[in-house]
Amino acid sequence: MAAKIGARKGEPFIELVRLYQIWFDTDVMVLKRPYVAVLLLGVPLLVVLILKNATAYGPLLATPAARQKGASNAKVTIVEYSDFQCPSCAHIQPYLQSIMDTYKGNVRLYFKYFPLSMIHKNALAAAHAAECAARQDKFWPYGDLLFQRQAQWAPLADGTTHYMAIAEETHLDMTRFQACMADPSADATVQQDVKEGQNREISATPTFFVDGERLVGGTFAEGGARAVERELRR
Amino acid sequence: MKPADLLSFLGRLLVGGVLVYAGFSKALAPAAEFAAALTNYQLFPAALIMPLAIALPWLEIWTGLFLIAGLYMPLASALSTLLFAGFLSTMGVAKLHHVDLTNCGCFGGETMSPKTTFKMDVVLLVVALAVWFANRQPRELTLDRHLPQ
Repeated sequence: MAAKIGARKGEPFIELVRLYQIWFDTDVMVLKRPYVAVLLLGVPLLVVLILKNATAYGPLLATPAARQKGASNAKVTIVEYSDFQCPSCAHIQPYLQSIMDTYKGNVRLYFKYFPLSMIHKNALAAAHAAECAARQDKFWPYGDLLFQRQAQWAPLADGTTHYMAIAEETHLDMTRFQACMADPSADATVQQDVKEGQNREISATPTFFVDGERLVGGTFAEGGARAVERELRR
Repeated sequence: MKPADLLSFLGRLLVGGVLVYAGFSKALAPAAEFAAALTNYQLFPAALIMPLAIALPWLEIWTGLFLIAGLYMPLASALSTLLFAGFLSTMGVAKLHHVDLTNCGCFGGETMSPKTTFKMDVVLLVVALAVWFANRQPRELTLDRHLPQ
């Protein structure tokens, strides 16, 4: 057999091939390139299929009331994983608002922090500030202004002055807000959402779940309303 | 075994390993995530986005595995070179069009800055080209050399 395949003894890789050949070299089956090719094509398919079936996405955890809006008995829930420094997240806000207006009474929105800190240096601090606003029940007006003024604070090395200005504008208790900005528990809340998002295989923002249907980035602008309609028809 | 055979083998492991890892990380994640990353490039027609998001990870996995195994090397090494050339061109064209890429989408859930990815892809393209050049004839440490057709 060694002569047939031109293998030389002694080299580990060739020995490995020889072992495979001894295993397969019967009258009905000889290890040939096409057989190995079929294995290489098929095994990863099986592995991915098995892993995808075995891996369940993480659960959707409870969202504090301050980060929910819409009808409490709504038929459809929209969960938004978003980053205040992400341009697409800011860009999608008018579409989201129009869906909330169009399907008023039928839709409830839940906001989850998902700052992409590796590429957006101020995203975590902005999420922390928004959480401080949420603790005073002013998350929505505060978050809206963060998105609207993203271009002003996003390029800065430190956006704190803008976070403070927005806090004043939304009539937050500034003493509580400043204390909260130094409070690590607000960061912990943000990180809890991040962990939840990672467990749900989120890697891009914004990611929406319209009930069970995942819509990532600009696809929400195109398909968000259709997804809500589908859920309402069920 | 010549040093060139070993170098070619290491090059195949590097390029193939990165392709397999990148492919699996995308194939295991929801296709919608990679589709969103592709949409961000603003280069592909909407109708092509989802088919591409499903097919590209598999092309990477299979090319990488064939490269590591040293099977059908002319095809696998040419494909790997084309893949990296394609990734670099896509990122280059997006940059020329001033597209703000937050995540290249290369490794599924892992966020890597486009600048880092570009540098890495340049290195991998050079290695892939060298592997292609070195494997015009079947080399040692490849299954092509040792398995019958």
